[in-house]
Amino acid sequence: MSDYAGKQQIKLQADWWSKTLAGIFLGLLLSYGLVALFAWFGPDNVNQAISNERALWRVQFNMWLVAPIWMCVLSLVYLFRSGKQAWLKLGFANLVIYGVWMALRSAL
Amino acid sequence: MKIKSDILRTYQNVHTWTGIVAGLFLFIGFFAGSITMFRSAIDDWATPPSYQLPHTDLASIEAALPKVLANYPEAQKELVISFDNTQSPFTWYTQGGGRGLRLDDQTVHATVDEKGEIITHDSTVNELSGLVDMLHRTGGILGEVAGHHMLGEFIMGFAALLYFIALVSGVIFLLPTLTKSFFALRSAKGANRFWLDSHNLVGIASLPFHIIIAFTAVVFAFHDFFYAGLSQVYGDNELFPSDPPNKQVYTLDHLPTLSDYFETAAAYAPGYQVSEIRLSGLSGARANAAISLVNENEVMRGPNTDFIFMHPYTLNIQTSSISSGDQGVWVNAVSTYFALHFGSYGGNFGRWLYFVMGLAGAFLFYTGNLLWLEKRRQKQGKQTKSVQFMAKLTIGVCLGSLLGVISCFALTKWLSMTSLNINHAYMWIYYSCFIGAIVLSFTVGAAKAAISLIKVSIVACLLIPLTSIIALFLPSLSIWPARGVSQVIIELCALLCAFICFRAHQKCVKRFYSGEKNSIWALANQQTPPIEASLTASK
Repeated sequence: MSDYAGKQQIKLQADWWSKTLAGIFLGLLLSYGLVALFAWFGPDNVNQAISNERALWRVQFNMWLVAPIWMCVLSLVYLFRSGKQAWLKLGFANLVIYGVWMALRSAL
Repeated sequence: MKIKSDILRTYQNVHTWTGIVAGLFLFIGFFAGSITMFRSAIDDWATPPSYQLPHTDLASIEAALPKVLANYPEAQKELVISFDNTQSPFTWYTQGGGRGLRLDDQTVHATVDEKGEIITHDSTVNELSGLVDMLHRTGGILGEVAGHHMLGEFIMGFAALLYFIALVSGVIFLLPTLTKSFFALRSAKGANRFWLDSHNLVGIASLPFHIIIAFTAVVFAFHDFFYAGLSQVYGDNELFPSDPPNKQVYTLDHLPTLSDYFETAAAYAPGYQVSEIRLSGLSGARANAAISLVNENEVMRGPNTDFIFMHPYTLNIQTSSISSGDQGVWVNAVSTYFALHFGSYGGNFGRWLYFVMGLAGAFLFYTGNLLWLEKRRQKQGKQTKSVQFMAKLTIGVCLGSLLGVISCFALTKWLSMTSLNINHAYMWIYYSCFIGAIVLSFTVGAAKAAISLIKVSIVACLLIPLTSIIALFLPSLSIWPARGVSQVIIELCALLCAFICFRAHQKCVKRFYSGEKNSIWALANQQTPPIEASLTASK
């Protein structure tokens, strides 16, 4: 994939893999981070006593939520100026999200 | 709308490459998926009418249930009680059972006569629609990995992921010209422009459908991995908390009557019709009753039904896809995702809509490949090896999988005259057509292969209604004609398909002899290659 595209656009060649991998890994991590916030602090969260039946559907909903966020990050990752930018900015976003999650959890 | 040119260029590349990599898998996924909209009609059509035993009234079925369970131990493992008049009242597996495509399943059909006697007969389960569904989910790639998963499901999941990226990138690079060219179908500017315009039109017009399908397909393929990740997020909290196991031992004498199930279902889900009750594991610790419910006015979670799971002895409802219990708002969201993939809302209208949009989707991937081929040829001024290879692969895979499915439909009734296991026969037919088409395409070239494959497809399509006609005039043969509206419609669709193939054949032949000389679809190229092409060949 990168070889062919690389021939047409030498400037972007080094970044196809880098951006794609950033989208796959950091995008997935970011998605889990957002879902974690929602699962821990959203309505019907893990700290609340809810019926097993409600918990069963809530966790299914959470699972469904992972994919669309991940897919959106992955498809928009090519908007970053370079692969390095993608890794840096997505990495920073992850730190913020997981930082907030940790902070909120310790405040509980 | 103005977008910077380097972004446009980047996303055009993203679109092209994700599309090219995923397109052929998606072609199979989409056209097979369209056909699965009518699974039950297809199974009725392909199953010999003698397999289904006559239905009878609820009271007789109810009275017979304890006898069936007592006399046939295998029915205690899993017994299906159907309230659909075209199905046998009772069926159970003597071999197989469970999820996925299995070729050797044997079932027993049973009914009750006027005297209350149980009548049974054994039969092989016809998996024609199961085969199509397997193609839809796996693209026809066999092999199991990671327990119950099929390798092809993961490959299809990756294809769906690429497909989502292709959709987003396609929209991004179409945005600047969208208003100008959306409804333009410029046939006067040459075939290539026409294909591009129709590709864009179909893509944009069915965009919401495609986004939903891509997103749900990714979840279907990778849900186990998503759950595994989610359990990390949940930490010490259980993902699926469960009630402590019920220690009470139940025997068949404790089993409630069918009316009890009906009453429980009616109280929980008013307005729904019970279509099926599936009792499983009745003598074990994991006894379960799954009640399928139909309400054509509601969004249903399964392909054809909603469901309630309850304990078969206590009638205690465990969960349901209908939000009458304590599922909160979550059940509606999750059920909607399923329904949006399965097209199980809006009854038959919804199914037809999905059928058409699914075929349009297959068209999208096919035209996408054609556009790539033409554009690269024009850009490079000659036919490179990669263009030739992709053309052969596109023709072999697309027409081969189509021919494979059509042939299974065309031959199914005739195969019932033999003693062959019908499901093994389907596999042989499908894969010989599919592999044969690819081999043909790579030996004689894409253009010639396309013409021959379309010709065979016309014959196979015509054989489908012809079988019915022969069955009507020669009842001594053990084949059977179409019965009922839905089966006649299946055969009319085959006729329509034959007509479309016929027109495609005409166009291919025309392009073959009088199309642009340097095209991969032209005859001239294959006999006297133009200078540039022969230079490449001699390199």
